[in-house]
Amino acid sequence: MTVESVLTNKDVPAEIMQAFENAGRSGEQLLFVIVGDLSLKAEYGETALAATESGFMVYDPSREEPLRTYLHADVSEAAVKRMYGNARLRVKFRDGSQEDVFRFTYAVATLADMAANFIEKISGGSPAEEEYDAVCATYEKLMNVCPKCGRTLLHAGAECINCQSKGKIAKKLVKYIKPEMKTLVICLFLSLVTTAVALVPPFMTGRLVDQVLPEKNRGMLGWIVLGLFSTYLFQYLIGILRGYLLRVSGDRIVLNLRNDVYKKAQSLPLRFYDKTSTGSVINRISGDTNTLQAFMLRISQEVVVQLFLGIGIIVIMLVLNWRLTLLSLIPVPLVVVGAKIFGRKILPFYRRIWRRWAGVVSVLTDTIPNIRVTKSFAGEERTVNKFKSYNDAWFSVDTSAAKISTVFPNVVSFFVTCGSLLIWSVGGNWVISGTGGLTTGLLVAFLSYASMFYGPVNFFAYLNDSYQQALSAAEKVFDILDAEDEADDAKGNCPPIKGKIEFRNVNFSFDRTKKVLSDVNITIQPGEIVGIVGTTGSGKSTLVNLLMRFYDNYEGEILVDGENVKNIDLQYFRSQIGYVQQDPMMFSDTVYNNIAYGKPSAHVEEVIHAADVANAHEFIARQPDGYDTMLGERGVGLSGGERQRVSIARAVLKNPSLLIFDEATAAVDSETEHLIQEAIERLISGRTTLMIAHRLSTLRKANRIIVVDQGKIIENDTPEALMAMKGKYYKLVQIQTMADQLAKSKQEENFE
Amino acid sequence: MERLYVDGNSARFTRKDICLVDMELFGGETVEDLEPRRLFPVSGRMKYISLLDSEGKEHAIIRDVESLPPESKEVITECLREYYLIPKITGLLERSEKYGILKWTVKTDRGVQQLRIRNRNSDIKQLYDGRILIRDSNDNRYEIIDYKKLDKKSLQLLSADI
Repeated sequence: MTVESVLTNKDVPAEIMQAFENAGRSGEQLLFVIVGDLSLKAEYGETALAATESGFMVYDPSREEPLRTYLHADVSEAAVKRMYGNARLRVKFRDGSQEDVFRFTYAVATLADMAANFIEKISGGSPAEEEYDAVCATYEKLMNVCPKCGRTLLHAGAECINCQSKGKIAKKLVKYIKPEMKTLVICLFLSLVTTAVALVPPFMTGRLVDQVLPEKNRGMLGWIVLGLFSTYLFQYLIGILRGYLLRVSGDRIVLNLRNDVYKKAQSLPLRFYDKTSTGSVINRISGDTNTLQAFMLRISQEVVVQLFLGIGIIVIMLVLNWRLTLLSLIPVPLVVVGAKIFGRKILPFYRRIWRRWAGVVSVLTDTIPNIRVTKSFAGEERTVNKFKSYNDAWFSVDTSAAKISTVFPNVVSFFVTCGSLLIWSVGGNWVISGTGGLTTGLLVAFLSYASMFYGPVNFFAYLNDSYQQALSAAEKVFDILDAEDEADDAKGNCPPIKGKIEFRNVNFSFDRTKKVLSDVNITIQPGEIVGIVGTTGSGKSTLVNLLMRFYDNYEGEILVDGENVKNIDLQYFRSQIGYVQQDPMMFSDTVYNNIAYGKPSAHVEEVIHAADVANAHEFIARQPDGYDTMLGERGVGLSGGERQRVSIARAVLKNPSLLIFDEATAAVDSETEHLIQEAIERLISGRTTLMIAHRLSTLRKANRIIVVDQGKIIENDTPEALMAMKGKYYKLVQIQTMADQLAKSKQEENFE
Repeated sequence: MERLYVDGNSARFTRKDICLVDMELFGGETVEDLEPRRLFPVSGRMKYISLLDSEGKEHAIIRDVESLPPESKEVITECLREYYLIPKITGLLERSEKYGILKWTVKTDRGVQQLRIRNRNSDIKQLYDGRILIRDSNDNRYEIIDYKKLDKKSLQLLSADI
């Protein structure tokens, strides 16, 4: 076969390429090269595996002879052995020997999986052209990464959601400031007025000292005091109005930001929550949005005001005495340099404080909802100690930050204050000697302006600090806002669902360390009731998670009625599935609202009917508050079996096309199991049903059983056929029958 | 169910393959092709080593590798060394950040490596004894044994992220 170009994951070093070309059979082209990153001796370095139609070659400089060549025809098995932080491609040969031919980190594990598959299929007689298509597909998928940030894209050429939205923070925040623009402009105007008014008192004080007091002019004194009173009154009245307006618009900004973050948090894929603690998400929604709000107000208001104030003061100071003005500017560079150093020192602390605080919050979100477990295991003291240790960790970082954030600015302020001594000593001498045209009043006024001048200087010097603080908060908030949503590229495509389900060559791993599902191929016809059995951790629930589209990053395809599930409107698709979990989650709401959760517009009688079908109506009717019974957090107030029936009623009300039961009867007694079983049987008629079950008795209605073991489908047939086959299912039935008999005879013994 | 714990002279191990050992118990019983795996890969690296067969069934637990006879200890240590690749970072050479993703060039006991960290909050875990565990964007793991012992430049680069 001929190919246009050799597929590679990155540039192949010339020396390695040369070695491959020299060793290859004449006229035979290289099909693909995997550039690895680890030698067989586990040292970092470039290695490579290349495949041709007839064989493969491996270049590993840690061996005495770096290049080794192998023929596909000699291979009987090829597989990737995943270890911890690294993996090996292990090949077994027809002569019985075996060799680890290629070692690598997880960076190339997907490609190595593909290579193992390629080698094994070709050695088994499959034509190279056919297998090459799969190779191309894997490379194409792998190359669909953003050149800027390295994240996987939805498809080749797709815009990277991560980079697309990464602009300047201020630009992003403008979205939230814009609706408040009118109020903010009014506030700004009011600020400018109060600032202008604030420049008047020092001037009046100067007049007071220079003219009114020496001339003992009581009338003028009264007018000036009245003038100062009016100025202060005006200043504070406007201040009240401005403060109120700012508070309201600030609240509205944080309201919108918080709503957006929460909304986004709802649409994030489960993958995000697998890696991020809920405590840290809550911290971002509650705390960080506030920090950002403060920053936005600072930027939109204070910057202009302080700039205006600074310019105003310096102009007045220059008019009063330009030489003294230059003198008072001496400490400015000190403030600027000091602030820069401060900013650099404090940023890591803000990050550390945030992390420690997120730790404290995660202990809270972990332990407070689990207070029952804590109490039942008498773990109060341990919990308190754990909280204390996290809190102490936060305290110690915060204290270190406090040292910097208090000492540093105060040292700088000290030097600034010393600057005023400079004005006193030079200006005072001028007043005494009567040179420089300076009067006592002018000196006093000048000193007032000089002290006011350091307000804006400090503000701009430390603006970077609050920017850093906001940056740290923004990072966390935008971590959520910019995170990739659950992929929903098929909005609006809502085909009627009959219930045929197909898994085609599905492979999946949560991270790259362990394959959870490998090469899953199943076809389920509409209306079939399929039992999925297997030991704990075998991958049963993962099958269902993929079908529900909780995780989308799998290889292969899942089709419903012949259509790839990724091409169906996500919300519509999920609304067509009734999902009953082992430990159903209840909301702190009434029983009625809990049942009607999937269909809030349902008629009362529909809800009662659903409860009836689910064998839940009777126990609800027995509650003093009936359907209005308020459930505590996580359904406190109902037994496990009752919660289960409420969740079945939820599914009934949805009238779904597909039903999934994930160990629905695993946690209840046999009598309740019977009630639930009855409810399930009413519900499943005519619907495609997947039932994951530990207790095989739950599956008596199933017309097909799929046995999952270590992520693979090992048996898939009718229960009768599987029993006759005497495989894994047969063994499971045997074990359970024995266990049931044992339990029964024990029970009888007790009765006797 | 009785779990078989092994320590001291109660068993002898011989290497079968890169990550496989044969176990011979004091009573003479032998089990072949067992894979040693850490039960506590993070907190107790040489204690409680599970011995699994190819089906993933556990046959015994080594309480403490240190207590084994020298040859057996070496066999198990070697197997674990091959199985667990957690390079020890001894220095940070370069650090940059773009689009929220950290790019570190690090010196490790396995050579120099470039890695990307997607989220500094969830992928860099600082433990109380100065140890730092790192997971890169490919799910590879790294470890800094005691960050306080890093050189000044590395510490300075690291301080932006911890």
